Amino acid sequence: MAVGPTTEPTTTAPATPTEAPAVPMTPAIPTEHPNEAPRLTPVELVPGKALYRSVLPGVMQVPADLLLAMGRKSSLWPMTFGLACCAIEMIATYMSHYDLDRFGIVPWPSPRQSDVMIVAGTVTKKMAPAVKLLYEQMPNPKWVISMGACATNGGPYTRYDRVLQGVDNVIPVDVYVPGCPPRPEALLDSFIALQDLIMEERGSVG
Amino acid sequence: MTTEDTAPTPDLSSTIWSEVDRALSGVTVEPEVGVLDLIVHIPRNEVIRGLRALKTDGELHFDYLRCLTAVDNEADGIDVVYHLYSTDKKHNLTVKTTLPVDDLRVDTATTVWRAANWLERETAEMFGVRFNNHPDPRTLLMPEDMDDTFPLRKDHPLAEIQVLQGEGIAFPGDEEAM
Amino acid sequence: MTADLQPQHEYEFETQDIFVNMGPQHPSTHGVFRMVLEIDGEVVRNVVPYIGYLHRGAEKLCETMDYRQGIGFMDRTEYLAAFNAELSYVMGVEKLMDIEVPDRAQWIRMILCELNRLSSHFMFTGAFGVDVGVFGTAFTYSFRERETIQDLFEEITGDRMMYAYFRPGGLAWDVTDNFVARVHEVLKSVRQGISDMDGLLTENEIFLARTKGVGAIAAADAIDWGMSGPSLRASGVPLDIRRDEPYLKYSEIDFDVITGTEGDVFDRYYCRVQEMRQSIRIIEQCLERLEDGPILPERMPRMLRTPPGEVYIRTEAPRGEYGVYMVSNGGNRPWRLKVRSACFSNLQALRDMTIGHYVADAVIILGSIDIVLSEVDR
Repeated sequence: MAVGPTTEPTTTAPATPTEAPAVPMTPAIPTEHPNEAPRLTPVELVPGKALYRSVLPGVMQVPADLLLAMGRKSSLWPMTFGLACCAIEMIATYMSHYDLDRFGIVPWPSPRQSDVMIVAGTVTKKMAPAVKLLYEQMPNPKWVISMGACATNGGPYTRYDRVLQGVDNVIPVDVYVPGCPPRPEALLDSFIALQDLIMEERGSVG
Repeated sequence: MTTEDTAPTPDLSSTIWSEVDRALSGVTVEPEVGVLDLIVHIPRNEVIRGLRALKTDGELHFDYLRCLTAVDNEADGIDVVYHLYSTDKKHNLTVKTTLPVDDLRVDTATTVWRAANWLERETAEMFGVRFNNHPDPRTLLMPEDMDDTFPLRKDHPLAEIQVLQGEGIAFPGDEEAM
Repeated sequence: MTADLQPQHEYEFETQDIFVNMGPQHPSTHGVFRMVLEIDGEVVRNVVPYIGYLHRGAEKLCETMDYRQGIGFMDRTEYLAAFNAELSYVMGVEKLMDIEVPDRAQWIRMILCELNRLSSHFMFTGAFGVDVGVFGTAFTYSFRERETIQDLFEEITGDRMMYAYFRPGGLAWDVTDNFVARVHEVLKSVRQGISDMDGLLTENEIFLARTKGVGAIAAADAIDWGMSGPSLRASGVPLDIRRDEPYLKYSEIDFDVITGTEGDVFDRYYCRVQEMRQSIRIIEQCLERLEDGPILPERMPRMLRTPPGEVYIRTEAPRGEYGVYMVSNGGNRPWRLKVRSACFSNLQALRDMTIGHYVADAVIILGSIDIVLSEVDR
């Protein structure tokens, strides 16, 4: 039955476009500025595909990966893992003055339930196996913030051969924060950058 | 290392040298006036005997070991430096002993002060000085697999790094840039 | 037959000691400290501490650095009390070069060092509250006070933690015009913060029950281990370098040396809280004596070159004696720089304090020493 193309659809096809403008599903919004046009254009509703929209008004239709990513980015649990000087600024960011809680970011003392690892300080070669082990103990999806100059490339100590020249030699890093040590605002900014990153790479993680 | 310059007529009258000399009778001692404290040089085979005499002496009573470290003087050997303090008499003394480059051994001071334990372990792995009869001669600060080089010796190099931007910017270790 | 009815063996329950690894990542080790506890039931039988997870060669790098560049490494060595660490270093250079520091610079140095002692002790009380089990409350309260102090430091020096403000000879630049008013403002807040700590911890029944009589160390043992600072004074040894070998202007200032009696965890905590009140006393006296004047000597060479010699400078940092042993061979950088850290020596005594106590108390005892790992490992 389905074998072989019939000529009927091709003959009837020109008829439908001519009818379509007569009953537009989405009325075109008059735009005053040309740049705003793509943003203000509503989602095209294909008849038959979003049927429950009309049946159940108020139901939002979003892709599952978007929902997952939004959930992930809104409750990031960083592992409390202070290595050096940056740890003090990290703690200061958790505390009431800067208050990371308002982003849903709550420190968690175990790697098993954490999402984010903040490498706050110099990673020495003696410490590097422990950092790698802790990263491997974290469940997927997981992200790493390299906080400060030492974690990024060794910082002031980079010439000393017991210091690892950047934590990205042992674990993958998502966000680098500059500073020695970074201000709490910089760490806050890195979390916002990480949230953007999670939204960008949704569907590919986990 | 500056002993030759200042040694001829050191003015020791304002220091505790007379009491140190009395306490260290029978030990070869060579005094030197430091910037803050009196410095005495003791040969390495007598240093522990001297330190114990300084601790048990009633007048001096150096019961507190402030610091123990070493100084690498390249060809002149390695100095092991003890900084002593008396918690009740409130005076300071620096004791130095020189080890030749080819035989870096000295007796442990943990029998005098327990505080010397970690300080000696640190000095041992940083300079390669062997402390005889140390109760716990493991590495302290180094990774277990990196205890073959001694980073605080002068011949231990620092890593070269690439200067990424700017001409004439260099680390001050580079002589021509200074 | 009758022999079978008699019990032939007296059964003994053999208990096996368990080794528990704590660290290097552990919320209560205040950094990357690792210790292996040998536990019999709930009682600690042996402690083996492992350090060196933050050994990053500050001493070695200072030997390749100009004298003024080394100040930054001192900040990072003792990051909770960076002013105190800088002070030892610049005083070493001044002693070697025989530089006279102007009065105004000395008073400002004293004020900043004591303020830094306050902020460091606030960090201790907050973190110690977490160790004991008062999570959050004490920590957030102490960080509120720390932020007020850090804001003042930032106004003066431009950085929140790594100040690099003291220079050989004096200060990098003068303080702001409203310095005295701002310090008074901060002190008012700090005074409230100390009484908050008293209310939250010192008068807390559970806190007292957990800390009193735990981890005591006798005065003779503490001296033998080379302990210093509040940890030593809690054992009843009135050893304070500010009093015994006055530097800066401490000889002209009236303050008490706080000592404990028992040498237990509570005394180590309470000595610090009392010391904070003394710091406020010192700062108030300094502010009265602060006068206008130069902050650097008339002629400072652009490149600092020290004559050959050696000096061991010791100052009273919040955690104890912070010593800098500086050997010069006449160049523009130290030939050898050794940092004598108070935590390093205090930590040696941990084994003596912990053995025989419960596992839960091991965390408190470690917290009461108030270690900073980058100062231990350097």
